[in-house]
Amino acid sequence: MTVLKDTPGPGSLRGKRQGGSTRRDYRRIGVPGPGGRGINAERSAYPSWFLWPAFAILAVFFLLPTVLNFVYAFTNWSAYHDGVDFVGWQNFESLFTNGDVLIALRTTLIWAVLVALLQNVFGFALALFFERDTRINRASRAIFFIPVLISPLAIGYIFQALLKPEGALNGILGGVLGQTVTIAWLGDTTWTILVVSIVQSWKWMGLSMLIYLAGLKSIPDDVLEAAKIDGAGWWRTLRSVRFPLLAPAVTFNVATALLGSMNGFDTVQATTKGGPAQTTEVLNIFIYRTFGQGLYAQATTMSLILFLVVILLAFPIIWALRRREKQLL
Amino acid sequence: MKASTFAKAVTMAAAASLIFTGCATGGGGGGNSATDGKAVWNDPTASLEGVTLTFGGGTVADPGLTQVMDAFTEATGAKFDRIAYPDPYEQSLLTKVAVGDMPDLAAWQPTTSQLTTLQPSKNLLSLDDAPWLDDLDPAVKDVTGFIGDTRYAALVTSPSVMGVYYNKALFAQYGITEEPANWDEFIADAQSIKDQGGVPFYEAGGDQWPTQWWPQVQLAEAAQDGLWERVNSNEEQFTSPTILDTITEYQSLVEAGLFNADIKTGTVIDQANAVLTGETAMAVQVNALLLQMQSVSDTETIDANVGWFPISQNGNVATSIPDNKNGVVAFRTGDAKQEAASAQFLNFWMTTGYADYIEAANAVSIKPDVESPSGVPAVAKLISSSLGTSVGSMQSLAVANPDLYINLANMLQGTQTPEQVADATQKQFAQLAQAQGIDGF
Repeated sequence: MTVLKDTPGPGSLRGKRQGGSTRRDYRRIGVPGPGGRGINAERSAYPSWFLWPAFAILAVFFLLPTVLNFVYAFTNWSAYHDGVDFVGWQNFESLFTNGDVLIALRTTLIWAVLVALLQNVFGFALALFFERDTRINRASRAIFFIPVLISPLAIGYIFQALLKPEGALNGILGGVLGQTVTIAWLGDTTWTILVVSIVQSWKWMGLSMLIYLAGLKSIPDDVLEAAKIDGAGWWRTLRSVRFPLLAPAVTFNVATALLGSMNGFDTVQATTKGGPAQTTEVLNIFIYRTFGQGLYAQATTMSLILFLVVILLAFPIIWALRRREKQLL
Repeated sequence: MKASTFAKAVTMAAAASLIFTGCATGGGGGGNSATDGKAVWNDPTASLEGVTLTFGGGTVADPGLTQVMDAFTEATGAKFDRIAYPDPYEQSLLTKVAVGDMPDLAAWQPTTSQLTTLQPSKNLLSLDDAPWLDDLDPAVKDVTGFIGDTRYAALVTSPSVMGVYYNKALFAQYGITEEPANWDEFIADAQSIKDQGGVPFYEAGGDQWPTQWWPQVQLAEAAQDGLWERVNSNEEQFTSPTILDTITEYQSLVEAGLFNADIKTGTVIDQANAVLTGETAMAVQVNALLLQMQSVSDTETIDANVGWFPISQNGNVATSIPDNKNGVVAFRTGDAKQEAASAQFLNFWMTTGYADYIEAANAVSIKPDVESPSGVPAVAKLISSSLGTSVGSMQSLAVANPDLYINLANMLQGTQTPEQVADATQKQFAQLAQAQGIDGF
């Protein structure tokens, strides 16, 4: 049990060392530890073998496929012949000279940025909207969380039907505008990626909303009172006091939305299958298509490239967001 | 503490290495050397009590298949377990085969390029001396189902063919009294329809896959001349003038305004309705269009409204493209009894049970001594009779099946030029051929 230096605890005032040494003296504070083995006693609060089953599952279902990913990317594994031989960097060379992978990567990055942006904007707006703990708000929060729980494929199919040229959205618009509307929402080679990002953001905004709500609730009341006393209005409080203090929630939401949607597949596949003209073909759909042609090694190489890109993105983004957190808090 | 960390590390390493070795041999899980891969032909109605055969198919119900399975169960006592693989069908089944989880039988496109993906020498039973082969219509007997000289797929219905479906009333209305005898006359007829205010062609650009028939029908004579053999050995490519010109021709027809206004989003369902009801005059399609028409209309209406003729560059040579409803493969599961039972089912299907099957399937019979049901549309009979002079498609004759249709659909959307379509398709074809280890790639 960690005891903060300035919190009066049992024995902390007794025998504080000359010169203000900060080394925790567990014997003084009396933390129970097996055999009281000095400085490492803190880590033995529970037996380490409690973790082994979880580690085993993690190893088999996560670690092992990742390692095999590295292995198979350097082979010629395909549906067309038996046996798997090493071919060195051949798969990488052919992928990069082809150029399709880079196009798919670019589409995936655009998609991820759009989803991260929209999901957080929607989620934050919802959190602000449903902030107060009234009965209606609590019920509404639950309702807006339901899309998070629905299967992404189901959502994809439903929206594909809604967004058809003769679908419900055009019907509603037509009713409002008083003329027949036949916009092909999923048929535009430039804007369909935005439409599909909106669908994905709609699905996950409930989760962002929850995290932002938790963040809003954890802002200490005295800070808000101080702001009110100083004469700050709602918008000023939001901009200068509440949003900065939400930095941890922002870190979590932006990081998970961005990096999670780099792996996007289900929603896009169900709505557009990567169309029209492959303008919404995120890398996972390209991998799926390559796998379907029986080119297993090339598909594995592409997943490896995706894995590396996500890692390359993750470190700077999380580092920057955490640094912002530390600066603001 | 140190001892316990060490023990933990050792246990993890041991577990990991066990898992690794277990997984390392998993790649060769499919196919067995327990049997020799040749089908054993028992009496079609011999008892198979206690045997359950798994049949892999798509998600759409097939009345003919249901009938023949029930008949076989009645005759032999064998039971069936139908597995519906989700779309895309071929991909789903291939994934299962790759991990060794194969059904006893499956519906499969019997073309060379599709059969290759199943690694037939390892995974399929060879059907070379099947008892029903001599009873088949000679025009279709050897048209498909082979890898090299070995027959791996049983043809059960008349193979699908690319051709032109037209609305009879519109042809009469626009003064077209004779079917065009070559490509130039075909386009001239289309132009005449457009000049008179009609819509000549309907293309389902939204569904994408029908786009590939337009270049292919133009290549019939070239295919007869050995085009695909040359492509298979890299002597000719998709970017060579022979194929590239057909893609450019397709693009120029679209630009000339000879197609439907909603070409970018049109579906096959819309296409069938358009030709059936007379919204558009013609569509270049395969048998799937007829099936779609049959699902929304009856034989009488179709016979009254829809006609069919094949078209090619210099004549009316049909291009055949057997699809996954035409062929059945039997898997080499390694269990001799199951394999014999699968072969027996195919034998029953194509001999004793064929007449009832074809009646239930309402399809054209491929056995001269079994008459086609009376409810079969006239179009289906026309299609079947064109097979005698037909030539194989890219799917039938090329060693690999690139996504030509995706690139053509992109061209319709305006994001690729014909040259880029040919280039992308060739790159993909080369990649697939290389994966198969074919010389020249």
